[in-house]
Amino acid sequence: MTTYDEETRDMNEPVSEDSTELGSLDASLAVGVAPKKQLGFGFWLSTFWVVLITLLAVLAPILPIKDPTENYIITETTENLRGDLVEKPVQPPYSLDGNHWMGTDKDARDMLSRSIFGARISLAVGFITALFGLLVGGALGMLAGYFKGWADKIISSIFIISLSFPGLILAILVVALLDRSLWTVSITIGVLAVAPVGRLARAQTITFAEREFVIAAEALGAKRSRIIVREMLPNVLIPMATLSMLVVAIAIVAEGALAFLGLSVQKSATWGKLILIGSDINTLESAPWIAFGPIIFLFFTVASLNYMSDRLRDFYDVRDAYDLYD
Amino acid sequence: MKRLLGLGLLLTVISMITFAAMNLLGDPLFNILGPVAEDVDNPDSVKLIEEAKEQYYLDKSLPERYVRWAGDFVTGDFGVRFSATGQPPVTDLIKERFPRTLQLMLMAQLIAVGLAIPWAVNAASRANSKTDKASTVTAFAFVSLPNFALAIILFYVFSIRLDWTPDVYTATDPFWGFTHDHKLMQMLLPALTLGMGSAAGYQRLLRTDLITTLQQDFILMARSKGVSRRKVLYKHALRPSLFSLITLAAINIGYLIGGALVVETFFRIPGLGTAVVEAVLREDFPVVLAIVMIVATAFLVFNYLADLLYGVIDPRVREKENYKESIFCSWKRRVEPVDATVEAPT
Repeated sequence: MTTYDEETRDMNEPVSEDSTELGSLDASLAVGVAPKKQLGFGFWLSTFWVVLITLLAVLAPILPIKDPTENYIITETTENLRGDLVEKPVQPPYSLDGNHWMGTDKDARDMLSRSIFGARISLAVGFITALFGLLVGGALGMLAGYFKGWADKIISSIFIISLSFPGLILAILVVALLDRSLWTVSITIGVLAVAPVGRLARAQTITFAEREFVIAAEALGAKRSRIIVREMLPNVLIPMATLSMLVVAIAIVAEGALAFLGLSVQKSATWGKLILIGSDINTLESAPWIAFGPIIFLFFTVASLNYMSDRLRDFYDVRDAYDLYD
Repeated sequence: MKRLLGLGLLLTVISMITFAAMNLLGDPLFNILGPVAEDVDNPDSVKLIEEAKEQYYLDKSLPERYVRWAGDFVTGDFGVRFSATGQPPVTDLIKERFPRTLQLMLMAQLIAVGLAIPWAVNAASRANSKTDKASTVTAFAFVSLPNFALAIILFYVFSIRLDWTPDVYTATDPFWGFTHDHKLMQMLLPALTLGMGSAAGYQRLLRTDLITTLQQDFILMARSKGVSRRKVLYKHALRPSLFSLITLAAINIGYLIGGALVVETFFRIPGLGTAVVEAVLREDFPVVLAIVMIVATAFLVFNYLADLLYGVIDPRVREKENYKESIFCSWKRRVEPVDATVEAPT
């Protein structure tokens, strides 16, 4: 009976603001009344972590942390065979203690400050990649979506080719053949980000191109460049910004994978490289903290960026082809 | 038919790009001959260089070499390796390594789907409950954990601390069995690494689709007819919800192969993943090219198959001839127009 009542009410009365079509469903299946949209505590926690790690990375050289290249050898006083007291260095790696919060590696270097300095490269790769993907992919996608016709055909086929390429293989190929500088690595991963970002930009542009405000601008005689920059761009930018957070996360992971294969930024230790150093079986058995420290940093950063992107996507109600890119 | 032509064209373009990129960016001669290749003043070396060039067809122009390679490739001959001896031929290498990667992929997909379906059904049937929220958080954690990190964690826990799984992969061991000397156990952790990451992605997608399906009238009808809850979930609701999962599982092949590079390297499984990493480092281009082509073909073919499978699962699709706009409709399918609720910023 209840169901009947609710249905008649739904049909006859105007639906009030807070009731949704889900309200009349079987309680075990219903999603419940959708709460008012908000980003939630988790989002701000994630933002806090990302801002914190970015600040730490940027300010690392002036922060009062240990030097990541210094060997903090601990010595202990022991008796030698003749009974004299001598200072003898203790074999590193050292476990976690008050002095080294995340322990040290085999050269007695502080893992905490090495992880923070590693964040500099990992985050730089992430942000450069996202910026490149956003600029190039966004521009191409908007052009394709707005002008349609042959421009769309060409650009869309470029996207399709790029999406069917085995990405990581391409990345290791380019990095191995060119060089292992920060820019090569970032731009290589950035090129792989162009297609997913571009497809989103294209889809968005196509929907917005039919909206009234664009038609109005066209009717008023606005130039195409003006329509693209002033009318379309602000609308396409929001979903692209949420996607670009995901791109940062994926780029950090991709860089980690490259580093893990021994093919990333050569001179500095990124998170991936730190994990690689700690990942051989003997090190893992005797000193697991060498690998697990950077893993925790990497995990929290990637999870935060993923979560922020996901929340923002819900918040702005953008449905799209996100998960195709990984 | 048109779609198959499209696939062929796409593969041709991919092979051209890879072929050109490798030959323009790299110097294969150095890897065949070693330091001799750069010693152009010595007449003996020059002679060696000339011989090698002739042997590996490096004296021909790029398009000519491409045509020669492509002709061989379609007949199943992947050419000789760019190494000092050129042995074993690429085809043999692939034959040796491919089954291992295939086993790994199959195990990973089985684990992923096997975990994802009950997980998603469980979560969707209790949508927004505490169980559901906990499983969403778990799924999020697995999605965010890169596979090299997951590999290390699993290896540390199950191989080093608990010693349930073996440390090393031995190619000569038999497959089926449950001791440290069987490949099934040796491949369990690598497959689990790849599978768990994918399972989380599948779960999130399937859960969303299931929730949509569960709100439809025929579910209510089935329940009121007295069909058991379990049967409704697994029989009535699951089948129409599988569409996106099939697409994702097909697209995920690309991700799994990318993951296989890392996972095979970490667990030291001599499969295609390790082969391509080794080949890239040695600039052994024919091997890289062959593997790129295998991967791209697998990826595209599985996408194609996924579309065919739609018809098997949902008879409605079979009837609609124009359901597919192009060969890439499976990707387009998920790009839906954005709701008109997105407001322009003021």
